[in-house]
Amino acid sequence: MPSRPPVRPPGARGRGPWRGYVYVLPAFLVYVAFAVLPALHTAYLSLFEWDGVTLGEWVGLGNYQEILQDSVLRRSVFNALVLVVFFSFVPIVLGLAMTGLLARYRRPGMGAYRFLFMLPQVIPLVAVGVTWRWLYGDDGLVNQAFGAVGLDGVTRAWLGDFDAALIAVGLVGTWVLSGLCMMLFLSGVQKVDPSLYEAARIDGAGPVREFVSVTLPHLRGELAVAMTVTTVAALASFDIVYVTTNGGPGEQTTVPGLLVYRLAFSEGKVGLAAALAVVLGCLILAIVYLVNRLSRTET
Amino acid sequence: MTADMTTAKRSERWSGYGLLTVMAIAVVLPFLSVFLASVQPAGTPVVGLTWPEEWSWGNYEQAWSVAAFSDLIRHSLIIAVGVVPATLVLAALAGYALGTMRLPGGNAVAAFFIAGLTIPVELIVVPLYFDLRGLGLTNSFLGVILVEIALFMPFSVFWMRTHFQSTPQSLVEAARIDGASPATILLRILLPLARPSLTTLGLLVFMWSWKQFLLVLVLIQDTTRHTAPAGLGFFVGQNTTDIPTLAAGTIIVMLPILILFVIFQRSFIAGLLQGAMKG
Amino acid sequence: MKSTRRLRRRLARAACALALVLPLTACDALTPGSTAAVTGPRSVPSSTAVPEGDVTLRVQFADAPLMVDALIAAFEKGHPGISVEPQYKTFSDYVQNLKLTMTSDSAPDIAQYAVGMTDLAQDGHILDLAPYREAYGWDESIPPVSLDQLTAGLRSEATGGRALFGVPAGLSMTGIYYNKELAEKAGIDGPPRTLAEFEDQLAAAKDADLTPLGVGGLDTGGLHLWAALLNQTMPMDDYWDWVNGTKDATIENRAGITASRLVVEWGRKGYYNESANGTAQLDSTAQFAKGDSVFLINGNWAAGQLATTMGDNVGFFPMPGEQAGDPTVASGFSVAYAVSSRTEHPEAAGAFLDFLTSPEAGQIISDNGFLPPNPEAVAKPEGVLADVAEGHRRAVGDDGITTFPDFAAPAMLDRLRSGVQKLIADRVEPADYLDSLQDEWEEHHAE
Repeated sequence: MPSRPPVRPPGARGRGPWRGYVYVLPAFLVYVAFAVLPALHTAYLSLFEWDGVTLGEWVGLGNYQEILQDSVLRRSVFNALVLVVFFSFVPIVLGLAMTGLLARYRRPGMGAYRFLFMLPQVIPLVAVGVTWRWLYGDDGLVNQAFGAVGLDGVTRAWLGDFDAALIAVGLVGTWVLSGLCMMLFLSGVQKVDPSLYEAARIDGAGPVREFVSVTLPHLRGELAVAMTVTTVAALASFDIVYVTTNGGPGEQTTVPGLLVYRLAFSEGKVGLAAALAVVLGCLILAIVYLVNRLSRTET
Repeated sequence: MTADMTTAKRSERWSGYGLLTVMAIAVVLPFLSVFLASVQPAGTPVVGLTWPEEWSWGNYEQAWSVAAFSDLIRHSLIIAVGVVPATLVLAALAGYALGTMRLPGGNAVAAFFIAGLTIPVELIVVPLYFDLRGLGLTNSFLGVILVEIALFMPFSVFWMRTHFQSTPQSLVEAARIDGASPATILLRILLPLARPSLTTLGLLVFMWSWKQFLLVLVLIQDTTRHTAPAGLGFFVGQNTTDIPTLAAGTIIVMLPILILFVIFQRSFIAGLLQGAMKG
Repeated sequence: MKSTRRLRRRLARAACALALVLPLTACDALTPGSTAAVTGPRSVPSSTAVPEGDVTLRVQFADAPLMVDALIAAFEKGHPGISVEPQYKTFSDYVQNLKLTMTSDSAPDIAQYAVGMTDLAQDGHILDLAPYREAYGWDESIPPVSLDQLTAGLRSEATGGRALFGVPAGLSMTGIYYNKELAEKAGIDGPPRTLAEFEDQLAAAKDADLTPLGVGGLDTGGLHLWAALLNQTMPMDDYWDWVNGTKDATIENRAGITASRLVVEWGRKGYYNESANGTAQLDSTAQFAKGDSVFLINGNWAAGQLATTMGDNVGFFPMPGEQAGDPTVASGFSVAYAVSSRTEHPEAAGAFLDFLTSPEAGQIISDNGFLPPNPEAVAKPEGVLADVAEGHRRAVGDDGITTFPDFAAPAMLDRLRSGVQKLIADRVEPADYLDSLQDEWEEHHAE
């Protein structure tokens, strides 16, 4: 036992260093039993062709091969990546722009704004989806707004339009996540020493240069977080898609999560669903890893 | 400071507020649209943003009793009440050990928990259905509760560990020298100090539990046991034509979490931002 | 720090070992699923006695909630000990969840027969009702033909005769509703006799600046339209072969192309409501009732609602054939109810199913726009309900009620829905669309 007084770990007091694990064990067991093992089980099931009832058949990597070949499955992955643009890229750019504009001066009355911008974060996505489904409808607010400015020609049922549906779903994500990104960046900026801004200003820096040379470098951590959170939200966007378009029209808004659900539970292709879930999980893991890697090497 | 600079500053300040207000309106309009629709007379066709000629609250009654949103809310509450305390206890225990004790391999175990932050529900839901059905845990609140605890555990353990790591080591040391056991140190000294962290964590976990959709959709097939989001998801398919009632139902599903958000907004926002940052 | 690195390495090694071992052991014990049959009864008892005591039956269904509510109310009046709890789901929710629902412990006692029930019957998740057929004498109260559709291709272990997995409570059928006032405005004087005549009417409506045809393409409206056209172009036997999965059957033929082309062409000519693909079937019906379109593609299940809201202003006709003398062919299916193997009250469920075959139930079924299993026993309907009954009579007389195309495979509903959406929006070549259907068909019927 490593005894290094005076900071001897309390859990290790003369009873072996492993004793502290008693505290970890309950959390560990629940986590492993209901999250880790199911994830591994998914990977295992992905190697079978199984209808969920009768005896499955071992097909190795056959299901993964099918994902590469099947146009609907490929399309769903592509759609998910398009959603990343709207869930991740747009909110981050918007958040950064707002931060650049707002960071230079302390502003009173931010509390009320903060409350509003975080509001979409706490609402169940199903409720968000139901709301937007109506806003995008024939009689919805979106068409009403276009009509009000004389653009009656462009009104349509947005979620049923081949060209507009995916963008429309994506913009729901933009709506949900922009506030979060902005608040993240604004709270990050508060940690910047105001004297840095003073100094930049004395050097005659305008808003743009100030933003690039002072604000942005301090937001690296926040940027990494924003990218991770929003990308995961984009790739796991089952809730919104299920209630707004259910994947249509055609396969315009079909996302992997939706197919996992359909394949496993109504089409009897459990193995294929599991393989798609694994691909989705790996995609998320890869992006999280990449983002963290990049943000770390730059610091 | 020259007069010129002050006006520049003032215009910049006002344009900043202007932009913020535009964005705030963009956030609020959808909510307003749904709210106004929910107080229109039942069954009337509603267009976009329309101020109701007469305010009829009957849609809420309709949604609450006839469309059984009262049951949905109750089920969501049962699940949340199961998930929140259990998560807090388990996470506090694990966070305490991983944050203040030097456990062999403790960092690896912590990393193992953190790795779970990226597990999407989609990844586990397929085998969960078949496994839990084997255990008789489908269509039961208990099954959903257990899985939600597991899903929220990575973040919760991480959150509590970070908290305990930041409490002064000297406190623990002093108590230890006084002969306090690890359990006593946790219960008597550290937990009272952890109240704010636990509150925030509790709120976040409640919120995540309230929002959970896919898991419930798969694990609970009995529509009479659905939770609020799952029930709303089904309701929308059946009642697209009766916008006022649908809107009222949507508001009812949002309301509990909205009330909590209003009361605890400071904790909530801090939790969402720091939580994201730390995670 | 060093120790954690060592541990990590050890963990990694263990993971690799696990990854290697898993495929090797993946032979028998670890293979998911089982060949074992479902334990428990596979058929109902053969007596009609219903035990005393209070019983609650849960009924899950996807069609005509008003009709089911009325049936339940009438049934409960005659059976004070039994209460029935309806659980309504929309058709796509219902079908999407049917297998999950029926294989779960909380399966409803009674459930509407739909795609996937055949599989469930073979695996023993729903009860064989053949003993009741004899005990209750259903062959007397309903034409045996309509019971013989519900055998799931099995023989009854209990009676040795044909199995029975559902009791029909009315026959459904799709067709075209028309708004009489608007039709008159467009110079249309009555239901068309041929498909070409119908096209002329659509064109006339378009010329009159009206929306010719309402389609609820967001969910199932589009596929009803396509199937209705296919019914006119494809020989019925070929169609049945395809839906039933007969070897070498195919949808990639002239008839399929013709029907699909028509859907595209009508879209190009602007015959559909502008937002067809974004409109749910329920919404398209509500819009039609408001007077938004001259025609509407939908099923008889909407007749009750339309009769109430539009009164004498609405009529119905089955999609006309290519020639005036062609038989009336329309997609339709028995709205039948099956009994779960997990029910604790098979006797009470039997009493409910038997009630569905009664004249009293037949009247309720007829009032809601469905063709009762025994049409002679009910009063003559009026208005649009009379049109529907007449259409039914003709189609049944011509043996022209065909199953919906999504019965061809479990995943077919999704292919059809998204495929027809593409046809409506002119985003796919008819041949490619049919190819995607056939792919799905071949995958499912591979064995």
